[in-house]
Amino acid sequence: MILRHRDLEQIALVALRCARVLMQCGSSVRVIHECGALLAGCRGVELLGMRVGYASITITLSRDGNSITRMATVPPPGVNQRLDQAVRTLVREASETCMPVAELSERLDRLMHDVPRYPDWLVVTAVGFACAAFAGLLGADALALPAVAVASGAGQVLRMFLHRRGVNLFVVVTAVALLAAFLGGLGARLSGSFTQELALVSSTLLLVPGVPATNAEMDVVDGYPTLGSARAVSVLMVMVFIAVSIWLAQILLAVRA
Amino acid sequence: MIPLLATIFRAASLGALAATGFGVLFNAAPRPLAFCAAGGALALAVRTALLGHGVSLEAATFLAAVTVTLFAAGLCRQRLGSNATAVAVAACIPMVPGAFFARSLLGLFALTAPDVLPLDQSFTDTVVSMLRVVFTVGGIGAGIALPLAVLRRCEF
Repeated sequence: MILRHRDLEQIALVALRCARVLMQCGSSVRVIHECGALLAGCRGVELLGMRVGYASITITLSRDGNSITRMATVPPPGVNQRLDQAVRTLVREASETCMPVAELSERLDRLMHDVPRYPDWLVVTAVGFACAAFAGLLGADALALPAVAVASGAGQVLRMFLHRRGVNLFVVVTAVALLAAFLGGLGARLSGSFTQELALVSSTLLLVPGVPATNAEMDVVDGYPTLGSARAVSVLMVMVFIAVSIWLAQILLAVRA
Repeated sequence: MIPLLATIFRAASLGALAATGFGVLFNAAPRPLAFCAAGGALALAVRTALLGHGVSLEAATFLAAVTVTLFAAGLCRQRLGSNATAVAVAACIPMVPGAFFARSLLGLFALTAPDVLPLDQSFTDTVVSMLRVVFTVGGIGAGIALPLAVLRRCEF
């Protein structure tokens, strides 16, 4: 089968789209590379190279002396495991059946709209319980736990509100951490808890970037230290902004560490 | 023995709750979510048991992460497929020392306060807690990444 330059471009673009969605959903670099290799390999196209950066992905494909390089930008990464798994399943199916590029692109579009999400109320409740559990693990007393659950739930509501308006990640982190820490500390004080400081800190744990932190290390272990380092720096910056907000909340509530 | 078992049970219950909450936040499907809960309970149970036997926090966290990853990517591979890595990560989230990291950064802020006394003690405490955070996070990452590298994980 002879592939024209335009055919190579279509393959490169759809591979970039799949890689972009995977990256946004929280996949590691190794997964992105495997995605590119699977989509190219089934068509007899050689994946000459793929560079996965924090904000962009570049792919170079080659076949019969023709080669093409295309790049796509990547929005700030998040975590969406169901969409991540759905895209992986689609890529595997596309690779096994050598699915036409147009069909793959159309099904990817459909997935992005059809993959279900938990309702907001359930996410807010789950985050509240998770942070209260965190507080319990850290040694907060029972009186502080309801305050932590309510404060972190309120923080999650604010996070979703700001996220949907496209507000900068670090502004979101600062605002959410400040609100959650303040409410958590205040609630613990009003309920008579002796672990007000733990409640204040635990209420912000919904923001701890656990997936990027583990991805950073896995990327380095897998041999991609550049993106691993970039992820580690972003994790560090998020933690610095959370700490600044906790510090402000402590000042507002006159809590001594 | 009984108090240790009670502590392990309490930590496992809270670990399961935290891992499930983060699983919902990460939009994990219902079946992997059940494995997240089981993994979170296993992680905290192993870590608490090891801490109870005098193992350091960093080593206990590393061994707990290895156990959970072997559970997800080894024992449950048939049922989880490419979800195994995501389940292992979500299950280890309750062990991320986020509160300690925030505290160590607050310690750094406190070092620059005008009335900080005694400076040597504050500095030592802050650096020690910062190092413990680095080693604990490193332990989690290594505990997930190394078994997956050995088991040749199936990503697709």
